[in-house]
Amino acid sequence: MRERVDAADTDDSAIDHFLKTVERRALRMAEMATSSRDDAMDLVQDAMFGFVRHYTSKPAADWAPLFYRVLDSRINDFHRRKQVRGRWLAAWVKPADDEVDEIAQAPDTTDPGPLLRLAGNEASLALDEALKKLPARQRQTFLLRVWEGFDVATTANVMRCSEGSVKTHLSRALTALRRALEKYA
Amino acid sequence: MNDDDDLPNWTPQAKQALDESAQNLDAATLSRLNRARQRALGLARPRRMRSWFVPAGLASACAVLLAVAVVWHRPTAPPNAADPFIPGTSAAAPSGGFSASDLDLVSSDDGIEFYQDLDFYAWLDAQGQDNNG
Repeated sequence: MRERVDAADTDDSAIDHFLKTVERRALRMAEMATSSRDDAMDLVQDAMFGFVRHYTSKPAADWAPLFYRVLDSRINDFHRRKQVRGRWLAAWVKPADDEVDEIAQAPDTTDPGPLLRLAGNEASLALDEALKKLPARQRQTFLLRVWEGFDVATTANVMRCSEGSVKTHLSRALTALRRALEKYA
Repeated sequence: MNDDDDLPNWTPQAKQALDESAQNLDAATLSRLNRARQRALGLARPRRMRSWFVPAGLASACAVLLAVAVVWHRPTAPPNAADPFIPGTSAAAPSGGFSASDLDLVSSDDGIEFYQDLDFYAWLDAQGQDNNG
């Protein structure tokens, strides 16, 4: 009995520790996706609930991709609801995601990059603004690959898409970010 | 080939800038995050408690059944059947264990020696009745 209670406490502390390690980044991701801290907070809380309800019985090593999968799903639901509400506007807005020449946009991996010329808070704000302007899937791919450090396969699993899509989204995101950040440098 | 080889070399700075933005969240936001986390953890606890309900319920039901079975099958002495201290009844103790007279004996203020010599007093009483008769 005592051992069972200890195991439950350990589970709780492990879940608590895991959520503590991801909650800030999750909130920032959701905030960039929604442009609203309150909406972001709701999404993160929903993601925490969904994660605790369905996935804490899985091995702890899988928790991070599973949590972000739930969060990604919540963010997509948010955008879907928003789209339904503002459908009449959609005819006037061209989707930017499909207009880019992939090869021409491939990132130059040897260039030191625009962020080096920006310092501290300025770099953070510039990146934040640039990320907010990215299409949702590109932004999410960039954040999962670059910030969370997931590999291509894990990112594809989190976003429920193919590895090829991840590479395409990331390539476009890097190009758009680079172009946007050049303005600040 | 490592996946990260595809990333341009300015991405570590981007990661650092994002880390800083997450670290610099204000206290009110951190407090709300903490509350959200606690609420989520609260979801996990009742679920674990529910997993205890079945075995605990079964154990309780078994205990109740056992208690009922013990009480049901306990042999009850017929009234006035086996009180060793009443002349004319069997001297054997009831097979069920203690009787009400045992409880009186234990709770009585009389000395225990009195009860040990009760057979003698009964015999003395019988002798007196014979002499009177």
